[in-house]
Amino acid sequence: MIGCYDFCGHYEWTFGWLERTGGHALVREYWNEAINHDSQRHARDLIRNEGIPGMLKYWGHTLLEESPSLGFNISHREDVYRMDFHDCPSRGFLLRNGLNNYRDYCDHCMGWTGPMLSEAGYVVDHEHNHRGQCWWEIRPASAQGGHAAPGLVAGDQDVRLRPDWPKDPAKLDRYTKANDPDHKMK
Amino acid sequence: MNQPVASDLPYTDTKPQGSPDFYYAVNSTFRFMLRRLGRDVWQRYLEEMGRGYFAPVNRQWSKGGLNAVARYWRAFFAAEPGSAVEVVEQPDRVEVRVRECPALKHLRAGGREIVREYCQHCYYLGSARAEAAGLTMRLSGGNGSCCHTYARPAAGLAPQDLQQIKEACL
Repeated sequence: MIGCYDFCGHYEWTFGWLERTGGHALVREYWNEAINHDSQRHARDLIRNEGIPGMLKYWGHTLLEESPSLGFNISHREDVYRMDFHDCPSRGFLLRNGLNNYRDYCDHCMGWTGPMLSEAGYVVDHEHNHRGQCWWEIRPASAQGGHAAPGLVAGDQDVRLRPDWPKDPAKLDRYTKANDPDHKMK
Repeated sequence: MNQPVASDLPYTDTKPQGSPDFYYAVNSTFRFMLRRLGRDVWQRYLEEMGRGYFAPVNRQWSKGGLNAVARYWRAFFAAEPGSAVEVVEQPDRVEVRVRECPALKHLRAGGREIVREYCQHCYYLGSARAEAAGLTMRLSGGNGSCCHTYARPAAGLAPQDLQQIKEACL
């Protein structure tokens, strides 16, 4: 039986299998069709109907269930929803268990939430460091300008204030006002 | 149910049980593959996962025999929320008697359309893992309660009849 306890392990293994079987296009289609439009349709419905309050409900519930030790922080303002991951439960599982069957597991988040948020009228600013730390700012698609300065939305929980957050931009994967997992800037 | 013992599971987490909403993703993954790639390729996916991702378990089973199989399944189901399972060791086999499948229970509670082939995944995955460990595996029942049998080849289990595996439904 495929279980939920080690879900992140076989989920990541599946990305690699799909890419070997049908190329990158199949992985993208999997994230959008199987995860966004099927598995996580409860998230999709909630966020399309309620916007930022729906994000607070969805991620507030699911992250607490996945990470009871609170390796994350959620903050928001009227026009922005923000998440800071200090110890991603998903990426952390892979790192602790030495699992690596796909070139960048972290891409799956943008792979399914990017299209979901696009359909709901939102865009994403995001950075991840491949070590279980990342941040997300989600704004209406009409938003102008860049992302918030460190600490402005999340206060001292902003992951960018960590002493071990890379100072070298080359060590981060970055998205700016994006919805497509391939619109990554290195 | 015993608490999971780290050494009995190949991959361990910091929390004692998984998040059951992940069963939604497993079901959706099967639906995507069955529609897009077809049944034969889905079966190959499960067999390759059994030999690849689960290789550390298979090695444990090869080395530890049926006792390792029993320990693994006790630890496995202790980490799956909502399961009701008894693992019975006999001289030539281990029976995993699933009274309530945690995945189907959660999918039903969430009102999810379950792929009808869902229960077959346990056979394709389990038999690939058993074969890698020098064992045989059979499955009977399904749709919420079933019995997985892992046995030494000398037990002479009858060939798997796929008709013995029930289709899953809401």
